[in-house]
Amino acid sequence: MPVPDLFLQGIERGWQVIDASALAQETTLEADVVIIGTGAGGGTSAEILANAGLRVLLVEEGSLKTSSDFKNDEAKAYAELYQEGAARATADAGIGILQGRTVGGTTTVNWTSSFRTPDQTLAHWAEAHDVKGLDSASMAPWFARMEERLGIAPWAVPPNANNDVIRLGCEKLGYHWKVIPRNVRGCWNLGYCGTGCPTNAKQSMLVTTLPAALEKGAVLVHSARAERLVFEGDRVSEVECRAMDATLSQPSGQRLRLRGHHIVLSGGGINNPALLLRSKAPDPHQRVGKRTFLHPVNLTLAQYDRDIHGYYGAPQSIYSDHFQWDQGTTGPVGYKLEVPPMQPSMTSTLMGGFGLQHLHHMASLPQSNILLALLRDGFHEQSQGGSVALRDNGDPLLDYPVTDYLWDGVRRAFLSMGEIQFAAGARAVMPSHAHGRLSTSWADYQEQVAGLSYRLHDVRLASAHVMGGCAMGEDPTRAVVNSQGRHHQLENLSIIDGSLFPTSIGANPQLSVYGLAARLASQLASDLG
Amino acid sequence: MSDTTSPNLDRRSLLKLGLGASLMLGTAGLTATLSGCSSSGPAGSMAVLRESDLPLLAALFPAAVGPHPAFSENSNAIQLAIAQLDRSLHYSSPFVQSEVLNLLGMLSMPLTRGPLTGIWGDLATASPDQLEAFLLRWRDSRFELLRKGHKSLLQLLHMAWYATPQSWAAVGYPGPPII
Repeated sequence: MPVPDLFLQGIERGWQVIDASALAQETTLEADVVIIGTGAGGGTSAEILANAGLRVLLVEEGSLKTSSDFKNDEAKAYAELYQEGAARATADAGIGILQGRTVGGTTTVNWTSSFRTPDQTLAHWAEAHDVKGLDSASMAPWFARMEERLGIAPWAVPPNANNDVIRLGCEKLGYHWKVIPRNVRGCWNLGYCGTGCPTNAKQSMLVTTLPAALEKGAVLVHSARAERLVFEGDRVSEVECRAMDATLSQPSGQRLRLRGHHIVLSGGGINNPALLLRSKAPDPHQRVGKRTFLHPVNLTLAQYDRDIHGYYGAPQSIYSDHFQWDQGTTGPVGYKLEVPPMQPSMTSTLMGGFGLQHLHHMASLPQSNILLALLRDGFHEQSQGGSVALRDNGDPLLDYPVTDYLWDGVRRAFLSMGEIQFAAGARAVMPSHAHGRLSTSWADYQEQVAGLSYRLHDVRLASAHVMGGCAMGEDPTRAVVNSQGRHHQLENLSIIDGSLFPTSIGANPQLSVYGLAARLASQLASDLG
Repeated sequence: MSDTTSPNLDRRSLLKLGLGASLMLGTAGLTATLSGCSSSGPAGSMAVLRESDLPLLAALFPAAVGPHPAFSENSNAIQLAIAQLDRSLHYSSPFVQSEVLNLLGMLSMPLTRGPLTGIWGDLATASPDQLEAFLLRWRDSRFELLRKGHKSLLQLLHMAWYATPQSWAAVGYPGPPII
């Protein structure tokens, strides 16, 4: 059954979409608002600003890939749709980072989990980070609006066996578990959200807000990196961009100048701070790029006597918050438990070992399940997150020290996950660790976890949630922008995306970005109107 | 460590070596200038990988992956995996590309390869036991740089291998749905 490609149909109808890599000459474009980035923040803002009658111009570093390009092909997707071809990592390579680089940003490749920002997190921002007016009660209608817009609802189909491990194990142990809300409409339950949705069921920016903005006359430039903001006094006068090469490795093509009355940064954590640093934007208190958070993830592998087939079916449908807030908001690090999809290329990097041992683990792929823990970083003084700097060529670099505070969470999460896997009937469990081995009993597993080394590279750590680095808050000595996302020093610059978060979220962040962006962009539309 | 043909890599010898540590996933792209044995440009059919990297990778893939049936079923298996790795690297950043080339360059230069890996002859012709000893030595090293090399190398090789459809049947993966 052929799936209509909504985006290509829109282009045929006359949407203004410019592939910068095909430009023959230097180009200047003007609009009321220039939005840098087309992910959750940029897409949501674009629709709202365009609906308010403003002329919107979007620029995206990634290329335009649409449903007809998405072939459930891991290698192709990682190369084309992810930052640095999915090889992005922290400065010491301790944590691998999965972050989108394509039209729609990370929303094009995420696993669709959609949670409102936890009440505890919003309360903590108000209390500890001087964020005003974003309490749970006043955010609730904005989350509701975006849930409606993006079809977000708890997954009504039975979970695949990979996710069902969490339900089974937590039921048995009396631990909290719940169904994950997903942003899908008419989902085919394929399991390949991470390689781009081939059926346009995932309600990413690519099929929702960006098309809506383009219908209203917004202009989208893709395959171009915003290299530098140009300043005139306390205003941004221009955004200097350059087209990316064919493999999106470096900006080596035509130059573009984008001019707008107002500029919105929506490039996400890491890329927003890098743009501000390259531009030498005013930063009197050295806040740009600081407190960048990752929800560092550690994982455990389990083998069962039954088929799991974790590569098929909605990738994330069940979670547990049993260990999220049990020690308070600001105590030892809490974590959310979920599973990753288990397509073989990515999964092979988590199996541990090499040679015959690795092959044995891989040969049990159909009967294997992986649990992951999202560590809630940024709520404790020993969790200050990372710091963004620039490489010699201007590319960003994130230095993220893994502190003893986080290692303690890694160790506890290894135990929680293993306990749940054994309770769900695993015959063997292994921590994702260079020295990990399959334990066939809970007692042996506990002993193994107690004896592991907790240091970089031994423990396999990953992140799919880059947050912070342009923190919001009313105190200019601690924050880059105020609680409306307006820059503390630059008059016509807003930041609207996950880089605003003063801490991590404690849940997959996309709905936090949508809700916040809807609210801030609506305020901005009325300010500019 | 099962390696008996080389001095143990203690702190003193690594410091004395110095060079190896700075080359290892180094930042300055020293490999290109120091390694007479690696050509600087990509190999004929490759976008990133150099001619000197190819025999090295041909030896490393089986060491990382293990005795996967596809190696014997398909005489072209390793070439397909190398081509996949090259395609992935092509889409990565200049930094990632230079890190990987530095790592591979270091494994082909005698000056660094011997002391750091314990393999004193050409790595491309090393025995499976020697390659295993080298990978264990890096895994268990107290030097963060070598542990990082162990992880990075295996992740690159595993990810590329299991991206190629030839690898799937033997591990029970039926492949992605066709829409």
